[in-house]
Amino acid sequence: MRAALIALHCVAIMALAFPAPSGGMSRKTWADPTVQAELEGWRERLGGVGLALDKDAFQDGLFDLASGYMKVRAAILAPMRPYHLYFGTWQSWRMFIAPHMYPSRLHVDVHDADGWREVYAARSDEATWLRPLFDHDRMRAAVFRYAWPNFTGTYRAFCAFLARRAAVDFPEADQIRVRFRKGRTPTPEEVRAGVEVPSTWSNARILDLAPLRAADGEGA
Amino acid sequence: MTVWQRWVAFLSATEDGTSLAIVRLVVGSCVLRTMLSVWWAGIYTVIWYDTAHGGYRSFGDGPWQYELLGGYAPWQVDLYFGVALVGGALVTLGVGGPVVARLLTFATLQGFQAVCDLNDHAGGSYDELVANCLWLLVLAGPSRTLSVHTWWTTGRWSSTETVMFWPRFLFVFQAVVMYATTGWQKLSVHWVPGGDLAALYYIQQQPTWQLRDMSWLAWVFPLTQLATAVSWWWEVTAPVWLLAFLASRGGDGWLARTLRRWRVNTVYLVVGLVFHVLVAATMEVGPFSWASLALYAAFVDPRTWRRWLRLDGGPVDSRPAEGVPTVG
Repeated sequence: MRAALIALHCVAIMALAFPAPSGGMSRKTWADPTVQAELEGWRERLGGVGLALDKDAFQDGLFDLASGYMKVRAAILAPMRPYHLYFGTWQSWRMFIAPHMYPSRLHVDVHDADGWREVYAARSDEATWLRPLFDHDRMRAAVFRYAWPNFTGTYRAFCAFLARRAAVDFPEADQIRVRFRKGRTPTPEEVRAGVEVPSTWSNARILDLAPLRAADGEGA
Repeated sequence: MTVWQRWVAFLSATEDGTSLAIVRLVVGSCVLRTMLSVWWAGIYTVIWYDTAHGGYRSFGDGPWQYELLGGYAPWQVDLYFGVALVGGALVTLGVGGPVVARLLTFATLQGFQAVCDLNDHAGGSYDELVANCLWLLVLAGPSRTLSVHTWWTTGRWSSTETVMFWPRFLFVFQAVVMYATTGWQKLSVHWVPGGDLAALYYIQQQPTWQLRDMSWLAWVFPLTQLATAVSWWWEVTAPVWLLAFLASRGGDGWLARTLRRWRVNTVYLVVGLVFHVLVAATMEVGPFSWASLALYAAFVDPRTWRRWLRLDGGPVDSRPAEGVPTVG
């Protein structure tokens, strides 16, 4: 009996840990330049061994294949779900499976009579508002996710939270701007040559602080 | 002997509980570290309270632990946090005999999961790894040595009371599953052989996980390529580590003898330790490295641990039980 249960445990964790594109089954996510570069890299490799495929056909086929795989996987895992859920045996080991070639860096600015002023920039020693919060590994993980399109809803809630804090911490400010600076990571050659790689702003949200103070006043 | 009989015999081996006790000490301290770091950083309410109570997210009814108590409310977070914090301390200390220690560890597991699973955006694989370890400790009955229970019942901190070998095997199996399946998913053109082997260089440039600016790696890029190749092969071939671990326990076949002669178990262990030390020194990935080290403790024979720690009580014969199959 004991041997059977131990065998079942091993099967249950192997089945869940087995490679799968969980969390990546969204065409929006696939549109990210990092993902596109990976897909193109593999299409070129396949082309090199005589499996030349059109870009759209390759990606559509791969998505269909992955979708089918995920359905079969879900059916296999369904009977094991209670064991995974209630007994701490969840397995998800997609750790650094691909480097993010276009990472995003969070920036926060507040606006007052003097214009916009940067109060936070990720990993900066100058703009350090709420740094203990942002530097904690759990907030790093959260902020990393909020730069991706499938987390837009929670990103908005996160910006609203920052606005509530800014309304208190910067009483002279009337607006907060939260955004990501997204740019390709420079290659080693570019770093050594001192080449500046261009970046763009994304996911910018500007929120008025006055209504938040008014709401706080009413609440008090 | 059939395969099933060999499996049953393999699981019937016994040994002293020192390796498991080291695992327990590291896992318990990992739970404590996880809870206290959130408290000390002042982000407790931010990540685990809902928007109405100072947090940034809404959780609906919350995970099943919250539904059980009528749906999410901040007092439940406090309750589960308290259970995990106190439980982490008790697990570390090794409080309670076989039954009580298991119940305490199970309560710790549930408290830990309830808190860490609540905001699944603000966490990572380390939460799952700690939960995996807590469940295996529940199965193991974790307080037979290096524990308050041992001191309370024998007047000594260490004991050579024998425990079953299979819980230690499950920790080893968990480690191999973790490393192998993460390696098998590293299909990026920057990881796989034949590519530019630039994965670790680019990962170290990612601001999310940086402790400090790592652009200096551009000047030692070939070293990062070597590290990328070593870590990819090390992870992808992790099942060999499982064989090497089993071979380290005995076996007269050519495979077991070869794995022992080349000290493959030790080689995998050392490469993994170096890998985690480098990660901890350069990246902020929470308690991942510390939690992983708990699994490494299971790869070391309890007799070796007793020798290293100079524990009294003398070595205990932890050879496989008679008839137990080994590699090769």
